[in-house]
Amino acid sequence: MQAHRQMPRLFGRGALALVIGAYTVYTLGPFLWLATMSVRNTGEISADHYAWPNPWRWEQFRVAWVDSDFATYFWNSALVVVTAVAVVTLVGAAAAHALARYRFRGNRVIYGILFSSIIFPPQITLISLYQILVDYNLYNSLLGLTLVYISLQLPLTVYLLEGFFARIPQDLFDAAKMDGYGDIEIFRRIVLPIGMPAIATTLILNFIQLWNEFLFAVVLITDPEKRTLPIGIRAFMGDHFQDIGMIAAGVMISVIPVILAYAFFSEKLIRGMTAGAVK
Amino acid sequence: MTVQMTSAEAPAARASGAPLASGFSDPRRTSVPVLLVFLLPALLVYAGLTAYPAFRTIYDSFFTIEGLERIPVGLSNYAALLQDETFWVAVRNTFIWSFVAPCLDVATGLLLALALYAGVPFARFLRIAWFTPVLLSYVVVAILWMWIYNYDWGVVNVALRAVGLDGWTRSWLGDPNFALASVIVTHAWKWAGFNMVVCLAAIHSLPSEVLEAAELDNCGWGAKLRHIIVPMLKPTLLNLYVLAFIGKMKVFDLVWIMTGGGPLWATETVSTYVYKRAFNWNTFDLGYPSAIATVWFGVVCAAVILLNKAFKSKDRLEY
Repeated sequence: MQAHRQMPRLFGRGALALVIGAYTVYTLGPFLWLATMSVRNTGEISADHYAWPNPWRWEQFRVAWVDSDFATYFWNSALVVVTAVAVVTLVGAAAAHALARYRFRGNRVIYGILFSSIIFPPQITLISLYQILVDYNLYNSLLGLTLVYISLQLPLTVYLLEGFFARIPQDLFDAAKMDGYGDIEIFRRIVLPIGMPAIATTLILNFIQLWNEFLFAVVLITDPEKRTLPIGIRAFMGDHFQDIGMIAAGVMISVIPVILAYAFFSEKLIRGMTAGAVK
Repeated sequence: MTVQMTSAEAPAARASGAPLASGFSDPRRTSVPVLLVFLLPALLVYAGLTAYPAFRTIYDSFFTIEGLERIPVGLSNYAALLQDETFWVAVRNTFIWSFVAPCLDVATGLLLALALYAGVPFARFLRIAWFTPVLLSYVVVAILWMWIYNYDWGVVNVALRAVGLDGWTRSWLGDPNFALASVIVTHAWKWAGFNMVVCLAAIHSLPSEVLEAAELDNCGWGAKLRHIIVPMLKPTLLNLYVLAFIGKMKVFDLVWIMTGGGPLWATETVSTYVYKRAFNWNTFDLGYPSAIATVWFGVVCAAVILLNKAFKSKDRLEY
């Protein structure tokens, strides 16, 4: 009887390990494959798509960075994303603080309106934003794209920060008021420092989502000089479909900042991304 | 927007009963200007870059717009939409994707979470590793999977040839019968980790007595899953389903880069079709795509509200 039960146990363990191993290969395998291709040139890749890099051609990255314009795309992306993230986090944090802390008529209505746009399909604003940006001479400009990105991430920012700010104990605010802090001072000297963990989570999350954004960039930017990384890679791929090694190097350049952020803040990121779903 | 009480009124309110110690105003109320300082930037961003464009798209759907020329056409864009076969193919594809694929995502996520919960070594590392695809951009995922599906040297066909199933090899994205399924698999690859993390968090927050009791009763994993874990996780699973559903109703990037909606509209989604009609075809009319966007906006909102209603009421019956 005992042996009988042990058998399926062992079998179950083995099967479990097999499934876990297989799934890990399935998630990480493609990425590692990409990484090996990024340090091989296209000739070597064509000879064998699955060979180990030999030699490791790190100059691929230099070529992609300098000769294939990925430096331009990278800095455009960095400029747009960093500005948009900084602004949206500040604007969103201020709104989240007001909504979480103060009682006033219409509070929940404003929160609901700000938050509900999270489910909007992007096309509902996309076509008009294109026309509006054309009207205001912001079409095909990084400033226009930055403004649009601020509005894209606002609902999520307000949602995440409101949830966190609402849990800061009221006593802290009462004490601050007694000490004569004004409303703005309370926000700057209490909410922002105490809310730092949540703000950091929001920052990283917004960064990654905007860094990866494609649809609005492809509609609102046409000038090759102003392309961000996702549309730059896509355009490069359109022109050099066969140049797999160079595409892989470009893709790696776009992925590295995300992987770095993930390596340092994996727990924060996972928590931020799933905050809306965990009940 | 009106503000119920200003700080000037607050002391009067307190005099009529609230026993606060000192003469300070109620800290949960503040004046309109202060509220405006905090809220106005966000409201302006929302009004200018979300609400106004959304209303303008709805308004535009009653016009034919070519360049600066706007010709009011009443409801004829909507009438044309009913006759537009490509639109209905796109709707069908998007619905297949939105209703079927979330089951795949959530089931995979739950099974992966259970595998980690079963107490394997390196669970922490695996959780982080499995989550990685969630962070990659659609552009990166699309390029990777175009290579994986490549006819000559893609992993799928190479693997099939290696085990002697040469007959099964095909151009996965070029075959109208398989293109949609292939793209759905790619999308599931990206999102399974997300569902896994949420399920894992939910399992960890289950009351441990219940699971221990099941352990004592010698309840097998299958029975435990069916009778305890799935019913108790139901709110989380349904929530994940709705989230995945919303994501899939909007899906654009992956399809656009991998297949462009082809072959023969086999992977056309509403999003890619709107994009094509607005920016890619030589029709130059922004009114018609606005009508599609408006209809789809209504459909997404209605679907989300209905799903939420349906799932919420069931939850209440459960508990």
